[in-house]
Amino acid sequence: MVDLVAFFLPLIYFGVIVALTALFSYIASLAIWGLMRRSNPQVTAAAQRLGVVTVWLVGIVIAVQELGVSVEVLLLVIALLGIAGIVALRQPLENFGAKYFADVYSPFKIGDTIRVGDQTGKVIELNAMSTVILSEDAHLIALPNSMFLRLSVVNLTPLAWKELIVPISLPGSVDLPLFESDMMKVLSKMRLRLDRRYPPVFTTKARSTQTADLVLTVMVRRPEDRDAVLAEVNVRLTEAIEKARSGGSRSPPTTEPVSSRS
Amino acid sequence: MDPLSVCINTQTPLLQFSPGAEGSTPLWEIESDLSKLQEGVDYRFSPGGVTRMVYPLARRLIADGTWREVHWISLNPNAPATVKLPGITLHNVVIGRDRMGGYGKAKEAIWTTVHGLSEPKLSGNLFWTEDYGEYTYYNRTTAELILALDRDVDFDAFYIHDFQQLPIGHMLGTLKPKLFRWHIPFDPEKIPDQWRALMSTYLNAYDVVVVSSDRYLASLKRFGHQGRVQRLYPYVDPAEYEHPGPDETRVTAEKKGIDPHDLVVLVVARMDPAKGQDRAIASVARLAGKFPQLKLVLAGNGSFSSARGGLGLSKSETWRSHLEETARSLGVTERVVFTGHVSQHELDCLYERCAFTVLPSTNEGFGLVVVESWLHRKPALVTDRAGVAELIENGANGLLFDPDDPGALDRQMRRLLRDRGGLRARLTENGFRTARRCSIDAALPAEAQLVGQVLEA
Repeated sequence: MVDLVAFFLPLIYFGVIVALTALFSYIASLAIWGLMRRSNPQVTAAAQRLGVVTVWLVGIVIAVQELGVSVEVLLLVIALLGIAGIVALRQPLENFGAKYFADVYSPFKIGDTIRVGDQTGKVIELNAMSTVILSEDAHLIALPNSMFLRLSVVNLTPLAWKELIVPISLPGSVDLPLFESDMMKVLSKMRLRLDRRYPPVFTTKARSTQTADLVLTVMVRRPEDRDAVLAEVNVRLTEAIEKARSGGSRSPPTTEPVSSRS
Repeated sequence: MDPLSVCINTQTPLLQFSPGAEGSTPLWEIESDLSKLQEGVDYRFSPGGVTRMVYPLARRLIADGTWREVHWISLNPNAPATVKLPGITLHNVVIGRDRMGGYGKAKEAIWTTVHGLSEPKLSGNLFWTEDYGEYTYYNRTTAELILALDRDVDFDAFYIHDFQQLPIGHMLGTLKPKLFRWHIPFDPEKIPDQWRALMSTYLNAYDVVVVSSDRYLASLKRFGHQGRVQRLYPYVDPAEYEHPGPDETRVTAEKKGIDPHDLVVLVVARMDPAKGQDRAIASVARLAGKFPQLKLVLAGNGSFSSARGGLGLSKSETWRSHLEETARSLGVTERVVFTGHVSQHELDCLYERCAFTVLPSTNEGFGLVVVESWLHRKPALVTDRAGVAELIENGANGLLFDPDDPGALDRQMRRLLRDRGGLRARLTENGFRTARRCSIDAALPAEAQLVGQVLEA
């Protein structure tokens, strides 16, 4: 009897901790979603994922300890492998990370003419590692994405200052027509801050059964409105995604990422 | 080149199904086999270019092996989800009634603005309205269906028709060839400044934009469109037109309220302010004293937008009431016949019965009814604002007039009404010859070549 209790008690503790971890991860996801509503939905989704993974990591470590397993060695091996990976892949990771942030925050898009350092050209490709520009003398120049975090970028395209480019990655479960029409209506209510000669437009970058990658372009009326408009657009995007995901009725966000980059 | 799998997209569906009696279930909801439904009762072919031009194109290119299969997507809320025809599958898009109103208003605003029936200043804000949100909803729903089909079918090309569908190419986001046919007039001066950027974005999403006349081709370039533009005159299949005998013609005419001694002037157009039927009524009123047997026959009812089984907009009823009131106020009620919708056979009878036809539109993308008139060997009086006007040499194969000059249509009608035969014979013969330029046999090589060139490019 005593042996059975001693055998099952750690398993019960393990189960309780796992259940609590699931609950905490859900709460963490909700809290992050609430705190970051004014951020780009993709950044919010990434932060939610990070928060959920962190809670699960801590929870699993505690739960495994309850089973009497020493986790110190395991954690040490994982940490060392992580450090080795980061050192070995520093440059690509830097470029990859820079691309992620450039997607969300960069003030240019394909087709724009930009100057970075002493290089000037038309942007013709944005890939995970570099941004490819075509110079005036028809040379292809690949600029590592990490450059965009270190150097200032000048967008020479006329009216570029007006343009807010918001990448959006929607899971397949989102009702895209509903999402887009709702956003068009929401944006129409912000028209005092937007340039009416350039209505908002959603450009389809990729569409599969799993995801819809779009880019929303809006043009602000005054340069000083950019930040406020972007923040408002991000809030509305997050709400419209949630609404379209639930088929039109409001529901709280889930621990699934709000959006995910393919 | 291997036979192609093509996606056609039009707002107006090829087939319109009867909504059935109030409160009863339409037959198409019970019986999905088209062969078991009765044409003219349970369903009918939509009047206009969809049936007269696009359908014959698809059938002929499938028959000669240029196209393998066609999937045709249209807005059709009262229809089965899919309908199978030989080589052609019709896919019907449904959006909720609550959204249909906004969509209808947005596309009507585009229509009236492009046709110069409303001030550009008034419609400039259209893209910032909730109605435009519904227009976007409809187009995105259509684009989603097309993309879903593309994943199964793997289309070789997309052939998108008319202004209602303009955003589709941009929404598809595919690199596959996309052709867009702009059927309505295009005049850059009538496009509000606030529309230009978005319209350019949408037009640039296509590999080629096809227009119906050289005038619109020049206009599109003047608008600043940098992409490829091609002019292809719209066309019909002459084999699809009957020439009913005198007895059949007489029976149909009597049924429509036309007496044997009437001198019939025929206007074939849907009930829409842009079609300018009010101008024809006014001319008939002015000429009635000199020509007591003159009778104006207005054939046609509302478009798909006005149909009960379609969008259900009230535009056609409103316009018809206005025309009836105009006829009443001018004292010519007895001289104006409103036929409403007519079957193709009835229409052929009316063409046979008339002395000549008038196309009085204030603005017209092309005017296929002029070609129909020519095929029936009837002279055509044509507004100079129609795309087809550039095929007409005034006095040789047709008579042109300025729709804004009240006396111009009177003068041309008087010429024909007083003619002893010479002018009529010349217009008839030359018109019939001109119609060949707008026949499917003339257009097929150009259409096939156009698609081929886009694919090869």
